Amino acid sequence: MNEVYRVLAINPGSTSTKIAVFDNEDLVFERVLRHTYDEIGKYKTICHQFAFRENVITESVKEAGVELKTLSAIVGRGGLLKPITGGTYSVNGRMLEDLKVGLSGEHASNLGGILAYEIASELNIPSFIVDPVVVDEMNDIARISGMPDIERKSIFHALNQKAIGRKAAHDLGKPYRGSNLVVVHLGGGISVGAHEDGRIIDVNNGLDGEGPFTPERTGGLPTGDLVRLCYSGKYTLNEMKKKVVGQGGLVAYLNTNDGREVSKMVKEGDERAELVYKAMAYQVAKEIGSCATVLKGKVDAIVLTGGIAYDEMFTGWIKERVSFIAQVLIYPGEDEMIALAEGALRVLSGEEEAKIYL
Amino acid sequence: MSKYVLAINPGSTSTKVAVFEADKLIYEKSIDHAREQLDSFKTITDQYELRKNFILEWLNEINVNINELSAIVGRGGLLRPMPGGTYVVSEPMIQDLKIGYQGEHASNLGGVIAQAIAEMADVKGYIVDPVAVDEFDDVARISGMPEIVRKSLGHALNIKAVGHSVALELGKHFDEVNLIIAHLGGGISVAPVRKGRILDYNNANEMGPFSPERTGGLPVGELINLCYSGKYTYSEMKTKLRGKGGLTAYLGTNDAREVEKMVISGDNYAKLVFEAMSYQIAKEIGAMATVLNGEIDAIVLTAGMAHSKFVTEFVTSMVEFIAPVILRPGGNEMAALNAGVQRVLKGKEEAKIYENEVKLN
Repeated sequence: MNEVYRVLAINPGSTSTKIAVFDNEDLVFERVLRHTYDEIGKYKTICHQFAFRENVITESVKEAGVELKTLSAIVGRGGLLKPITGGTYSVNGRMLEDLKVGLSGEHASNLGGILAYEIASELNIPSFIVDPVVVDEMNDIARISGMPDIERKSIFHALNQKAIGRKAAHDLGKPYRGSNLVVVHLGGGISVGAHEDGRIIDVNNGLDGEGPFTPERTGGLPTGDLVRLCYSGKYTLNEMKKKVVGQGGLVAYLNTNDGREVSKMVKEGDERAELVYKAMAYQVAKEIGSCATVLKGKVDAIVLTGGIAYDEMFTGWIKERVSFIAQVLIYPGEDEMIALAEGALRVLSGEEEAKIYL
Repeated sequence: MSKYVLAINPGSTSTKVAVFEADKLIYEKSIDHAREQLDSFKTITDQYELRKNFILEWLNEINVNINELSAIVGRGGLLRPMPGGTYVVSEPMIQDLKIGYQGEHASNLGGVIAQAIAEMADVKGYIVDPVAVDEFDDVARISGMPEIVRKSLGHALNIKAVGHSVALELGKHFDEVNLIIAHLGGGISVAPVRKGRILDYNNANEMGPFSPERTGGLPVGELINLCYSGKYTYSEMKTKLRGKGGLTAYLGTNDAREVEKMVISGDNYAKLVFEAMSYQIAKEIGAMATVLNGEIDAIVLTAGMAHSKFVTEFVTSMVEFIAPVILRPGGNEMAALNAGVQRVLKGKEEAKIYENEVKLN
């Protein structure tokens, strides 16, 4: 007989905190707590917001009719820690320190681990983080860029990549650790990861400039032309950065970063929109082809996820080009909250051991 | 009796010339030009007379009479974007070569000199698969930033020549097969070739794998940071990308044979870097395989580094699931020029006419 674990998941964004409570995989309730600028603007650093956010969270949980003492564990979105392998980690002193300092940068997600720990320790229950952005399982060979000043980095949608990888493996009837997958997160950023036996051994830096262009990012660009633009005197550093992240990709060509909007334009016969949208699919497919060689063609499935994976026209274009590699599975959307809860549940149920952050 | 083909390949400080009888190389020479002599001309086009005379002198030396030439072929230059193939040199082409339609480049002289000697011999002048070959599908031109258009620049001459010969080996015509051809030289071009057409390229090695001297693609955000760091002038940055990138930057040599020796002698860092280059080559081949929807007859590795057992074995292990891998090491531009003309002389192919294939206005 199965025990029921009740898990509170906390996912802090810059101006909101998402919380959800699960009884095993079943959602009990979910809330987005929005914070006004007046409430959080007065704190010097993101970490100083912690007491404020803690209070709002515990109040909301109570309001939703969930007694704090019924919780089995609390899981927070991990932050910018040292590069670590993927998995579920117990929050410990060392991690708290690194989160507070913002070791690899300040980011609201740093609060996830801290909030989970503080609330959990009052209740005497365990606290975890799951697959933070800094997950790095890349092989050394993948770190060499071609210019010694620049190292290729593992920065991507680790939480969703891992959660969907596990789900796909499960649906294939295989353990995640025994599966080879190419997982494609199609969101505002696009990451394509080569999962080998549960390790993401190569992935494009989806944040600023590798792989396919996205609804608002350029992805990789021809280097000579890019350098020429940088030295043209036409753009400041900030402007260039915005052109690459935020104002690149679909939005630069078509003035919208909304894939649904673009899809509509295509269906209404807009030829330019069709060319650009197809080019995005073309580049995604090429990145999938690259990852397939990293796995030497031993690929159990290609898995498409994220918001744009809802668009069947778009996923159809990709399928045409990559079906020769492996079957294509589609899990549209992204659910970080259940991904977090599942990470905690795997440890609570004994399926996995929590990793220790060193 | 006219039996020879003269091939002319002008480089920045030398002019390579060769005489072929059918597919057989009879004479070959690299005529070196003194820097000061070339510098005395205002434009590259002005060097035409000088280089032509050197070639005529050489023909004299080797006792080849101009009447023994059945065709002259020059390396094509920076013409308008055009489909690949063998072109008969025409007046509109000469005009574009002289002005350097897409820029000044020594190869622009190839067609001009070929035509001049051809007129003396009363035969036709040709060019074959110039750098300007552009057969991209439009979808391949979109980069992700509207200011930057992905370009069809690569080693078309060698890639096409190798494609023709591999197709023949497969018992087919070039326009009946799909190939991925990776030109592995000082620069690297990986091209998906569908029925003779080059559909995509890693953009003159501004994308894709690093090579002995070039960085290939780099993470864009960090590259921008370097550009704005104040540490490098524009020309220094360009040299870091081309010339001083790749193997040269990591290991201090652009000679892959040298690197292979370092690896064999137990240098683990050299091994990691050499593997990383091979890894990136394989990844680019995988990317290009999707351009052809996986319908691929063969993957071909050519040019200098296709001699390297280390590189070819590493790449093959990653890509052989896509299609059989064929090695065509070397790659000789002179032979490629000749082969293009021989196809026309033997009636296997019709020569194209520049003004029919491009938009002049």
